[in-house]
Amino acid sequence: MTEPTVPRAGITARGVRRTFGDVVAVDHIDLDAPPGKVTALVGPNGSGKTTLLLVLASLLVPDAGQVSIAGFDPVTQPRAVRARTGWMPDVFGTWESLTCREVLLTVGDAFALPRAAAAARVDHLLELVHLADLRDRPTQVLSRGQKQRLGLARALVHDPDVVLLDEPASGLDPRSRIELRGIVRGLAAEGRTVLVSSHVLAELDEMADRAVIVARGRTVAVEEVAAAAQARRTWRVRALDTGVLLAALDARRTPHPPPDRDGVEVELGSDVEAAELLAALVRDGVPVVELAPASGVLEQAYLALTEDRR
Amino acid sequence: MSDDSLTSAAAPGPDDAAHAPGGASVLLAARPLPDGTGPGTWQLGWTGVRTVAVLELRQRIRSTRWTAVLALWTGVLALLTILVRWAVHRIYDESFEGEGLGPGADEAAARLADQVAGRLTFGIIVFLVLSLAGLVSPALSATSINGDRQAGVLATLQTTLLSPAQIVVGKLLAAWVTGLALLAAAVPFIGWIYLDGGTPFGRLAVVVVVLALTILVVCAIGLGWSAITARTSSSAVLTYLTVAFLGPGLPLLFALSVPLVTENKPVAVRQQLYTAEGAPTGCRVAQEERTITYTNRSWWLLAASPYVVVADASPKPLTENGSDDPMTLIRDSVREARLGPRFPLEECYESDQAQQRLDEQRRDQRESLGVTWPYGLAADLALGGLFVAVAVRRLRTPTRRLPTGTRVA
Ligand SMILES: Nc1ncnc2c1ncn2[C@@H]1O[C@H](COP(=O)(O)OP(=O)(O)O)[C@@H](O)[C@H]1O
Ligand SMILES: [Mg+2]
Repeated sequence: MTEPTVPRAGITARGVRRTFGDVVAVDHIDLDAPPGKVTALVGPNGSGKTTLLLVLASLLVPDAGQVSIAGFDPVTQPRAVRARTGWMPDVFGTWESLTCREVLLTVGDAFALPRAAAAARVDHLLELVHLADLRDRPTQVLSRGQKQRLGLARALVHDPDVVLLDEPASGLDPRSRIELRGIVRGLAAEGRTVLVSSHVLAELDEMADRAVIVARGRTVAVEEVAAAAQARRTWRVRALDTGVLLAALDARRTPHPPPDRDGVEVELGSDVEAAELLAALVRDGVPVVELAPASGVLEQAYLALTEDRR
Repeated sequence: MSDDSLTSAAAPGPDDAAHAPGGASVLLAARPLPDGTGPGTWQLGWTGVRTVAVLELRQRIRSTRWTAVLALWTGVLALLTILVRWAVHRIYDESFEGEGLGPGADEAAARLADQVAGRLTFGIIVFLVLSLAGLVSPALSATSINGDRQAGVLATLQTTLLSPAQIVVGKLLAAWVTGLALLAAAVPFIGWIYLDGGTPFGRLAVVVVVLALTILVVCAIGLGWSAITARTSSSAVLTYLTVAFLGPGLPLLFALSVPLVTENKPVAVRQQLYTAEGAPTGCRVAQEERTITYTNRSWWLLAASPYVVVADASPKPLTENGSDDPMTLIRDSVREARLGPRFPLEECYESDQAQQRLDEQRRDQRESLGVTWPYGLAADLALGGLFVAVAVRRLRTPTRRLPTGTRVA
């Protein structure tokens, strides 16, 4: 079942299973996260994302299955994995009475980083997550979103090859989310392997290269975001004059349901088809205001696959 | 800020695939990374221990009302010392005046009285400090690990290169240093009583060392329980129970074990012989049924109690007929228990002189026993070591089982 070429710097998980007593948290998850790419781990609440990340972060032993992080096994070689892995947990505390800078320096010490190099890196990371102003404030005064950003910096102190982020966007304001996206893309551009668990799907469209969709502890689909964009899906067209728009669509024999307040939904095979439709409508003199996917790339796949919540 | 930082961070790096120095990105220089081999759980490098200890101490100093605690502790000790010293001296001065030893009456006797009083005060103060340390030390470590787990900061340390042993020993060190700070605040008072006289320097030194090690053991016990239980309240209670078991509990157990070591059986007894008129004539050894308590079989229960360790470490009594300071009393009782019954049992008391001779013989036997406190102390330290080992094992990751009711490993 193992692929012939295991990417050395990436994450591979095969048939991972983990139970807590009689609760099956992770049933059977297969996952590949190649280096230089952002892989999203998507699934409803309770689908086992956090548990899987704990296994990858060398905190939990899986009941079954194989895991390789940067070529090492977190069960038998945890130190090797930890030296190369940055993990940002979903819920976490900080040492409340320490300042932001001290928190990061302590983590640097715990990774046995040379002091001077660690200090420079810490200052850089504080800039990166926009906590430079608060660097000498105790972390107990930070807001939830600020703590979240500190947690991201903490995961990056030791310059890890593999980055595991568990719901990093929760609690972030819109601006911070956009910045998070930039940081995450930057990490992948530096050649690192990034695995992000999230349920904010719209965001993942822009952040992730691939998505592993899990439900009830099982991998149910793997989507390449770029490929998914080429798949058949629903688009929404809005014009100043809905009557003219409907006439034009009918003339082109494009099937559509009755229009609603926000325009008309049409099924299109690909981005190319969408471009063609737009050009045709404009040519026909339809006052088009908007032509956009009705939902995110991942959202449709996700909603179809994860109807059963728990 | 700052769209430019985003773009720069997102810009793909020019050179090697591993890390591109994109924008202002500060990366670490290549450094040796551990591979799969190498030391694991029990690795105990000093820098890691120091990292944890510094982290703990920093948090303690900043988040507790440190000065208030120290001031309160010092105030309580000062008050107790003054009270005990006053009470003891009052009793001794009065009793000696009652015997007609007014000022200047008998210099030597007065000096001896002073010394006995000093020694009694010293014993009481040391036991008080020991008891207070037993009350305070559990608070230093009993919520250390499960508290961190609850606060969600334990996993942060566990996913670094710190080994479980480094985390545990670092925490233990921090707790101990805090305890030693409290002990240091107590030393001036102990020293003050010491300067009152009557206490040999050896006793002072031993007492301070034993107090320090007792605090270490209590901290280790607290740390162990905090790794075993998920809830901080449970570990605090269990730590207090364990400390209570060691301190007053073991002597209590010794007392309760008396029926177990008591036997009814015929033993050799030296008995008085009488003439037909009822006058004593001599002695004779005979087998007789007696109830004998073999404390020499159960005395070791006493040895590990810190009170006994401190007392047993004290040197010979000042006066021939012993002294009534608590340390000497305990020391003599433990040795008496250790000696146990000697056969033939003496029931032939011909004269006062003979009786006195027997008492002296018994005392010499007691004094000839080797000291037990190193063994008691070693047992305590071994117990502490056991708790540390349990804590280390509990912190090993990746884990198979989580403490019930916890989510993050
Ligand atoms: N320590 C634990 N003990 C018992 N059940 C757990 C534990 N951790 C997780 N679970 C259960 O496992 C399932 C998966 O949880 P989790 O991995 O946190 O899901 P997600 O992160 O996808 O929301 C949930 O049903 C959760 O209740
Ligand atoms: Mg989760």
